[in-house]
Amino acid sequence: MSEQRETGSERVVLDVDNLRIHYATPQGDVIAVSDISFELYEGETLGLVGESGCGKSTTAYGILQLVQPPGYIVHGSIEVDGTEVLNLTEEELRKFRWTGLSLIPQGAMNSLNPTMRVKAQIVDVIESHEGKANYESFRERLSVFLRKIRRPRRGEPLKKYLGEWLRNLTLLLRYEPLKERIFDLFQAVGLPNRIYNMYPHELSGGMKQRVCIAMGVALHPTVVIADEATSALDVVVQRIVAQTLVEVKDEIGVSLIVIGHDMGLLAQIVDRIAVMYAGKIVEIAPVENVYANPLHPYTQLLIDSIPSIKERKPLKITEGITHDPRNPPSGCIFRLRCPFAWEHCALEEPPQINVEAKHEVACHLFDEQFEERRSNAFAAIANS
Amino acid sequence: MGGLSLNYIMRRLLVFFLTLWVAATLIFIIPRLAPGDPITAMVARMSQQAGFVENADLIIEGWKERFGLNDPVYVQYLRYMGNLLRFDLGLAMARFPSPVSQLVSRALPWTIGLVGIATLIFFTVGNLFGALLAWTKTPKLVKVLIPMSMIFTSIPPLLAGLLLVYIFGFLLDIFPQAYAYHHSFRQPEFTLKFIGSVLHHGFLPAMAIVLVTFGYWALGMRGMMVTIEGEDYMILAQAKGLKPFYVLYRYMIRNAILPQMTALAVSIGTLVGGSVLVEVIFNYNGMGTLIFTAIREQDFNLIQGTSFILIVTSALAVLIIDLSYPLIDPRISLEGK
Amino acid sequence: MAAEAKTKAAVVAGGTKKAGAFNRFDNPWLNWKFLAGVSILGIIFFLIFLGNTFWDTSLALNASAPLNLPPYGMEYQKGKNNILVGVPEHPLGTENSGRDMLALLIVGTPRTLGVGAIAASVGMLVGIFLGFLAGFLGGWIDDVIRLATDITITIPSLLVLIVIQSVLGSVDLITMALLISMFAWATPTRYIRAQVLTMRESGYVQMARLSGVPTRNIMFREIMPNLLPYLAASYIGNMTGAIISAVGLEVLGFGPQRIPSLGVAIFFSIEAAALLRNMWWWWGIPTVILAIVFIALLLINLGLDEIANPRLRKAN
Repeated sequence: MSEQRETGSERVVLDVDNLRIHYATPQGDVIAVSDISFELYEGETLGLVGESGCGKSTTAYGILQLVQPPGYIVHGSIEVDGTEVLNLTEEELRKFRWTGLSLIPQGAMNSLNPTMRVKAQIVDVIESHEGKANYESFRERLSVFLRKIRRPRRGEPLKKYLGEWLRNLTLLLRYEPLKERIFDLFQAVGLPNRIYNMYPHELSGGMKQRVCIAMGVALHPTVVIADEATSALDVVVQRIVAQTLVEVKDEIGVSLIVIGHDMGLLAQIVDRIAVMYAGKIVEIAPVENVYANPLHPYTQLLIDSIPSIKERKPLKITEGITHDPRNPPSGCIFRLRCPFAWEHCALEEPPQINVEAKHEVACHLFDEQFEERRSNAFAAIANS
Repeated sequence: MGGLSLNYIMRRLLVFFLTLWVAATLIFIIPRLAPGDPITAMVARMSQQAGFVENADLIIEGWKERFGLNDPVYVQYLRYMGNLLRFDLGLAMARFPSPVSQLVSRALPWTIGLVGIATLIFFTVGNLFGALLAWTKTPKLVKVLIPMSMIFTSIPPLLAGLLLVYIFGFLLDIFPQAYAYHHSFRQPEFTLKFIGSVLHHGFLPAMAIVLVTFGYWALGMRGMMVTIEGEDYMILAQAKGLKPFYVLYRYMIRNAILPQMTALAVSIGTLVGGSVLVEVIFNYNGMGTLIFTAIREQDFNLIQGTSFILIVTSALAVLIIDLSYPLIDPRISLEGK
Repeated sequence: MAAEAKTKAAVVAGGTKKAGAFNRFDNPWLNWKFLAGVSILGIIFFLIFLGNTFWDTSLALNASAPLNLPPYGMEYQKGKNNILVGVPEHPLGTENSGRDMLALLIVGTPRTLGVGAIAASVGMLVGIFLGFLAGFLGGWIDDVIRLATDITITIPSLLVLIVIQSVLGSVDLITMALLISMFAWATPTRYIRAQVLTMRESGYVQMARLSGVPTRNIMFREIMPNLLPYLAASYIGNMTGAIISAVGLEVLGFGPQRIPSLGVAIFFSIEAAALLRNMWWWWGIPTVILAIVFIALLLINLGLDEIANPRLRKAN
């Protein structure tokens, strides 16, 4: 099922640099995202994984400038297609949103306005960014209407005549120039046209999620961020919706960041994976590398804990981030849980080490000066 | 789309008719629970006031016969209910022989007008102010001014009426102190001058209700808006880059107004009670003043009739709000609750 | 790095959002509205206590003082050549049947507040009982209670009270309080039922049910403590409503006439056309006292709201 996709061009469409986000609490700031940097290439799908609380959603909201108080961005740079998002004024940011960066939200169940029809919620985003410029005025429509009305023909059934009248009247009064465009969007995400006039509560969970996807790509944004877009759905629907997401992405040609915790599902849909732990990216690599050859000890634990039907294995990873997020340990953030940690890990924060093409890992073991230690450690694992 | 659910309508109608039945029955039972019968009680009160009533016994017997008080209670009850169904509220005893229904039909439009317009104003102003209080983009100055304007909130309208009539009616003398229109008009007429007079006279009573009430709605609205700001769809609205004002009215106010409508239906009873007292202060020629005069004249029939009609009107207002609710909340029609 | 310049710009943009995120909100009960309301009521009760100790409260009776005196230091023109001057023996003046206003306030204020407190307490107790019954048992009991609540809320209570009182005539305050409480149970019942329903569905109550905790214990050990701020707010709101009803009935002339409460004083003043005679202190002073009481109750209620709902606290 996991067919190989080409990784797209080399043009960077999203450049996150040194981004840091804190949450203010009475006991001091919680470091949610700690100086992370990564790039997203044009046409690429990047997966952002990690356990809950690792800062992956906060990263997404940071990129979108949607961090809710008491959270705030401490520093960093977010460039989309050469535009520095953090330097935009409020009105510039409003216009930039959804055309530059769009969001497929986490809780699609509650992400649609309950008192607006599906069509209105897609129309409003199109209209607020593209304006109503090309609309026919009421007078133009009236003249069309007047041209169309006619006397009933002799012998014509009354029902047919009245039906035509009604259609013309609807065109006059309920003019919906975006209808075709929205139907196209529906088709792209596999929604039936009949939901056009429905309210969110009349849709199933999967349908709502599809509406969110249709909405997310309606303006062909540069980057779409899908934040746990499938987590609330049941397993079957999850797969189908994820598949839809990839298809739409390929069809419309946007770049995509998928945030999730389901390594199995992500493996199916992303090109590259960034593994986050306690607000840091510990490893970032093409998806096949991560699964075939995970380098960071944390990634290894994560890959090891993917359940398999073929064998029953004990869970090696313990739950949760063990240190106080207000007061992280010195040096490597993972050293408290790392099976390979040694004194050096407490002294210095590991840099991003480029192991091979597009494969970076933040672990001292991959520093050339500790090569011996690495081979010993991995040998010990292999033997056990 | 689904239209009104039958279940919802049936339940609302049930509450409406049960309310009428309970009110009518209460009004029937209450005077009969008092020691003695209503006629004896009334004549006793009359003799208390006048010192002595000639042929009291004969009067009592005659009236008892006339009002059928010698019949068994259930006969009286059925007759009473039958009369109510025909809107026959009997005669006003103190203003014999004016039928109660005639006095009521003269007073009721004034009360409905006063309360209706006051409600329209405080509901609009209150919700608007509440929305502005919660909105993040409201200018600082407005956010300071609005709470200051809410200083009178929670004072009963009656007391506000007293203060208003003293300041604006007595000291400054820019608004009339009493009646619904100038006494030079013999009866209501449809002229600009008359309408002007009605507005002039109605201003203070309406303000007495509005000033002390809109703050409640502003506070309630603010609470709702704060709740809605935390909803998932608000984050998406922000991410969509919609215009702030559009988000305010289409996403926030539109959703926050729904519980406010429910609250309005619940508050109708209190509102009507308050306006009855405001009318007394302003001697406004509506139902409140009619009740007050009836109380003074010990006209029990008139008190009963006026109260019953006001209860019917309130219940009808609640029913209208309840039935229009599904039109503004698309979820109700399906849930049928 | 080249990113340094823009990073700095971003620091400024981000840094401003932090201001005032947290300060004194660690203890929710230290809410200024709540404390201010409680303080105002406290001061009023203290003044009443002082008054009862140091002032002759029998002056609140009929014909115990000279008539129509304005407050001390003021003049009141009564008729053409008759100017009355306030005297220190009656610092807040007297009214036209010879009651001393200060004594009237000292006697009348606790009576008015007492009616509210009694009616609200009875209404609240019934409301808690019925609300829990409806919310917890559900089924036809819930249906009946809900129907009764809807009906009682729809009927303007003042009108039924008027009908009752016009049969009974003027009654003593306890009876009036009990009559008012006949309608004061509906709002708390509805409110508590809704809260109980919400809490019943919450995780911790579900857990308690699954682990076989008896219903009674779930009600009083799990749900009740979490309801407390809501109950308090509901009680205060109920009390406000009860006092409004009581004052309304009194102003219509249904209050006890001999020893007046504040509403009865206003009734007398309206009867005697004090407004037109410019005897502002007669109705004005009771009105202002009542207004202060209502504002205090509102402040307490707003404070309790914020205590119960952290989101409102944050929004300030």
